[in-house]
Amino acid sequence: MNLLAVGAGLAVFGALGAGIGIGIATGHATEAVARQPEASGDIRTTLILGCALAEATAIYCFVIALMIIVMLK
Amino acid sequence: MGELASRLIEELNCETVFTIPIFGGIDVYESVVVTWIISVILILLSIFFTRNLKVNNISKRQAIAELIVTKLMGMVKKMIGEEGEAYVPYLTTILLYIGIANIIGLFGFKPPTKDLNVTIALALMSILLVEGAGLYHLGIKRWLHKFIEPIAIMTPFNILDLVTRPLSLCMRLFGNVLGAFVIMELLKLVVPFVVPAVFSCYFDLFDGLLQAYVFVFLTSLYISEAIE
Repeated sequence: MNLLAVGAGLAVFGALGAGIGIGIATGHATEAVARQPEASGDIRTTLILGCALAEATAIYCFVIALMIIVMLK
Repeated sequence: MGELASRLIEELNCETVFTIPIFGGIDVYESVVVTWIISVILILLSIFFTRNLKVNNISKRQAIAELIVTKLMGMVKKMIGEEGEAYVPYLTTILLYIGIANIIGLFGFKPPTKDLNVTIALALMSILLVEGAGLYHLGIKRWLHKFIEPIAIMTPFNILDLVTRPLSLCMRLFGNVLGAFVIMELLKLVVPFVVPAVFSCYFDLFDGLLQAYVFVFLTSLYISEAIE
């Protein structure tokens, strides 16, 4: 059981990528809004969509971690 | 913790509600029954909104119906572009279904999208539509030629796309709904009052509708890529 917990924790490490990706996307979106405040509506939709897509990798990590705990027990 | 794990397993398994006693018994799962409920809700709303439609002197009910239809279809049309206009009604239907399926958990039902079978079915429908649209618009010769574009060495990856696209579509939807559910359960365990309601707004309402939007957006992206 203890090793399973370690494995599940390692699986969630993949969420690192999603965090970095969303951070970069948000940073550039802020820059874009600062440069062109009138386009903020379009930028927001694109950003939310991009974040939802980047978040998917973190979700995969979560699903895998959950499967490790639930299926292998 | 052990109690939570067993509850999670219980939630992962979809329960059989009843069995149709033909062909040796067909199991009807909970997700199917909830899908029927969603269909009934959508059909009743459609009937309610489309009774005696007029051209002049429209009623308030018709104004609301027109607003919903034009907004939703306009949104999908903007995603797919002019060429794919024939696919807008299907995509809007999928948007409505997934949207309602994701937030029906608020009313005490089990969201059907938390069942992997439902999301697999949705993803398979999407990829069949994408490839079918490509075949219909381009013809078999140009459709096959798409596999060796941009260069011949990309062919294995293009074929792999047929598998990875539906896989990522169904896993994204399933994982998001399940993830939101697990986080909400953990939160209810830690703080049983007020705080879960606030987070529920994000995880159940916002995230659920966003995932419906993302699913339709990706499908329309694939379609417009396939028919160009």
